[in-house]
Amino acid sequence: MELTPSPGAVPPAAGRPDRTIVGQVSPNWVTTRLDFLVNWARSNSMWPMPFGTACCAIEFMATAASRFDISRFGMERLGYTPRQADVLLCAGRLPFKLAPVIRRIYEQMPQPKWVISMGACASSGGIFDTYAMVQGIDTVVPVDVYVPGCPPRPEGLLYGILLLHKKVRGETIADPALRRERVFKQGDLQIPARLIDELSEPFGNSIHQTRSA
Amino acid sequence: MNPTVDSLRRAFGTTIGRAFVSCGQTVVYVDATELRTVLRWLKESPDEHYEYLVDLTAVEYRDAERPLEVVYQLRSLWRGAELRVKMELLNDEPLEVDSVVPIWRAADWLEREVYDMFGITFREHPDLRRLLMWETYKEGYPLRKDFPLRGRFSRAEQVRQALAANPEAHYSLEELSAAQLQDDLPGDMRERLERGERGLIAEPGESDDG
Repeated sequence: MELTPSPGAVPPAAGRPDRTIVGQVSPNWVTTRLDFLVNWARSNSMWPMPFGTACCAIEFMATAASRFDISRFGMERLGYTPRQADVLLCAGRLPFKLAPVIRRIYEQMPQPKWVISMGACASSGGIFDTYAMVQGIDTVVPVDVYVPGCPPRPEGLLYGILLLHKKVRGETIADPALRRERVFKQGDLQIPARLIDELSEPFGNSIHQTRSA
Repeated sequence: MNPTVDSLRRAFGTTIGRAFVSCGQTVVYVDATELRTVLRWLKESPDEHYEYLVDLTAVEYRDAERPLEVVYQLRSLWRGAELRVKMELLNDEPLEVDSVVPIWRAADWLEREVYDMFGITFREHPDLRRLLMWETYKEGYPLRKDFPLRGRFSRAEQVRQALAANPEAHYSLEELSAAQLQDDLPGDMRERLERGERGLIAEPGESDDG
């Protein structure tokens, strides 16, 4: 049976069923109450997927252990399988060889999903301004919260997690773009090439380094 | 000075170059042509018995006149003696050395690392592939002095090439099933697999089994 679209509704793209019915709802009392409930549940039971590559992972372990205890925030269940995780927590520097790996792990996580970039190296390359290191994981996967520090103390990571909670509480199901899955092709960049080169301009002791782009 | 140097000079004559002591460690230079004979003698001669290859690496000096060196750090667990054997790769010659995998199996990944980082080819190595960088890495040999610290390509190009790589293709053949391998591997690796070349390394030193 063919449904007649109501006047003013955006027609679905050719050959693809329209699944964005929620997106056509404008925010009202029902959606905001529902948002509150959903976001309360989501932000208080985030399951992290730890991607620990370096010393930041040690600080993450301290955060997860009893003194700092992230189970206070509903995160005690560390899922080492991306299909049962909500937060990808990249703790440590990311070499180029691991870039396709973290991309694949991110793609395997179901929506809704968030990413925390923990430490200076994950966020910007840090001291490793070399041929082997990704200069910030946001060139590979989208990042929600950056935690600075080398490595950050557990309090710093907890503050980052609380910031993520705050961000989640501001989300709404009336925004159709929020949870849309972006499909990467192999070799696709997460941000434009020009931006990557701008972000990783020479700094620190490598300012005299020649680069043949 | 380690007395092995004198025994080497008696056995091989002019093939043995200069020798000196550096920080208590005896360093001896060996000519490229007789390298494998000398190393095998060092391992199998009952008076020397350097059965343990501690490390195999290479050096490039900042002085452009000095040639690249391949370094073999040997230890005799039997006698508690150590010896550092060096070999110079002359500037105008191709960077090629005989592989010592037939003598010490431990040299397999060490030589792959030297090939990866310096671009030195090891003749008769059973499986000379990059070890640390991925197989499709195109920027050259990172530990050479003419290699810029940040690599040759722009950051965006580096990220693109890294993301285009297939993460599964980097694992060794043993870690994957044959069905998984067929589509993912580079052509030359697939050929080597089909010829069954892996795992056919000659067992080192049949004589000193007992």
